[in-house]
Amino acid sequence: MKRDRSLVGWLAAPAVAYLALVYALPLTWLLARSFTGPEGISFALFRDFFADPFSWRVIGNTMRIAGLVTLVCLLIGYPVAFALARAKGLVQVILLAAIILPLSVGVVVKAFAWQVVLRRDGVVSQFLKAIGVWSEPQRLLFTETGLVIGAANVFLPFMILPIYSVVKLIDPRLMEAGATLGVSPLLRFFRILLPLTLPGVVSGIAFVFSLAVSMFVIPSLLIGDRFQTLATLTGRSFLLMRNEALGSVTATVLLVLAVMIVLLSSLLARRAGRFS
Amino acid sequence: MKKAFLEVRNASKSFGTATVLDGVALEVAQGEFVSLLGPSGCGKTTLLRIIAGLTNADAGAVILDGQEITARPPHKRDVGVVFQNYALFPHLSVAENIAFGLRGHASRQDIAGTVTRFLDLVRMADFADRSVRALSGGQQQRVAVARALAVAPKLLLLDEPFSALDRKLRETMQMELKRLLRELGTTAIFVTHDQDEALVMSDRIAVMNQGRIEQLDTPQALYDRPITPFALQFVGLSTRIFGEVTSSDADGTVTVQTAHGMLRARGRFARGSAVLLGVRPERISFGALEGHNSIAPRLSDIVFQGARVQAHFTSSEDEPILLETSARLPGDIAPNAVLPISWPPEDTLVFPRVAGA
Repeated sequence: MKRDRSLVGWLAAPAVAYLALVYALPLTWLLARSFTGPEGISFALFRDFFADPFSWRVIGNTMRIAGLVTLVCLLIGYPVAFALARAKGLVQVILLAAIILPLSVGVVVKAFAWQVVLRRDGVVSQFLKAIGVWSEPQRLLFTETGLVIGAANVFLPFMILPIYSVVKLIDPRLMEAGATLGVSPLLRFFRILLPLTLPGVVSGIAFVFSLAVSMFVIPSLLIGDRFQTLATLTGRSFLLMRNEALGSVTATVLLVLAVMIVLLSSLLARRAGRFS
Repeated sequence: MKKAFLEVRNASKSFGTATVLDGVALEVAQGEFVSLLGPSGCGKTTLLRIIAGLTNADAGAVILDGQEITARPPHKRDVGVVFQNYALFPHLSVAENIAFGLRGHASRQDIAGTVTRFLDLVRMADFADRSVRALSGGQQQRVAVARALAVAPKLLLLDEPFSALDRKLRETMQMELKRLLRELGTTAIFVTHDQDEALVMSDRIAVMNQGRIEQLDTPQALYDRPITPFALQFVGLSTRIFGEVTSSDADGTVTVQTAHGMLRARGRFARGSAVLLGVRPERISFGALEGHNSIAPRLSDIVFQGARVQAHFTSSEDEPILLETSARLPGDIAPNAVLPISWPPEDTLVFPRVAGA
């Protein structure tokens, strides 16, 4: 048996080789670049970056937008995941298709669609004016609100699917058992469903946050250059400003943030699933 | 019967076009253990869920301890349930499972005391801090019972709690549960499709068939005097013989023409009625006795079961005739022999024969 297991490990070899060549190598070069000064290894680039208030604003923008997008996805996605898991037959197929099919539409296409929707004469503006929330038509495009709405739409499936996969495994009788023990519906949610779905919630948050923290196309199209995030600044540095030094620093900061989030969430997931 | 502690009135339930419960009435006295016995699909689990408030009945009422609870949600009913798959909370330990219904209703100290008491009662004290996932079926079952009883419900419902256990463990758990419920004086309703389980455990048994209770009686009365052919067939072994009444006599017996000749049974039927005769295998004995129903069928098989022996006889039209005795059979009895057997007329059950029976 032992021999078999060691052989099975080799099945991952092509993937490892591929990732090493096209991902790890360039990444190493990028990281090395950010720690390089005129006289060899240096932290000067980071010192300069963190000394600039603009950099902190960019980090703040990045974290705030990613946090809001994740929150919106969680609030919308959690109930949807339940509906999906408890739906039966054709309804479930339709719901699942409605969630997964949009993934096949490119991000650029979706972002352009949201441009139309969020315009001053767009659907959202007209609807809110019609029901009396707004007295005047307003433009959501090129605002943070517009960006969060658009990004949450694109990343929603990545919140729903991990929660759905956990909810699907929860025996509906657990809630009935809670009821027959005299526990009210609200407390049943907090004491049964929430702890049992937490691993799914944590991985959904990890997915959406790491996608939102590093998104480039969506902010480029929905909010524009006045609003910079670490990802858009990295892109600008390399593509427009030809400033490899700045680009490699912002890329490194972004990478560290993303890795921290993934590690933190897997730690939380392990604690949440104490007995699972 | 004592005053009803639980009363179900005229409970009906349909799913789509299928009628699952058809006007069921049930009364259970305080401290009583009543089984709902029937084949799958007879409505016994639906009745249980209606009493617990987990399913809404289309019609009818549930009254518990003098209060109408028909419209109350399950968490306000004081009705505990032990589910078939136990439904233990997988994210909690054994002790936390038992404490689940107590939290917020008692002090931390009282909860700990109650949990310890119930852990001891179900002999799970050594497992208090284990994950419920690491438990065997029998252990999970014990935790489920302790969890349901810890909140001191007025009524405990059990939905086939032993069906996943092997026979030996099942018998042990049956006796344990019976002892525990008697100690606590808990009123309980127990759903099962296993007649032996129902006979062993119950004060009374409700035999259910096609959404109705066919008979509600003590185990012995149910076995000795089933009032419908279904109850006869579902509880215990029996031989059924079809016939037609030729005379109804002044002494309260009828004479029935059957494929085996004239047989007598206690009952009153009009001449010419189509009837079904039933007899328990242990009532039949070898040899033709004076005044008994005597027939001479052909022996087809002898089944040795240790303490008892079953003899199977073929019969031309009816089902095989079954004889059971604890006596040792003479060594020269061999299959294919035609043997006289007989049983008393008063042990012959007689039912009207309805279409399909």
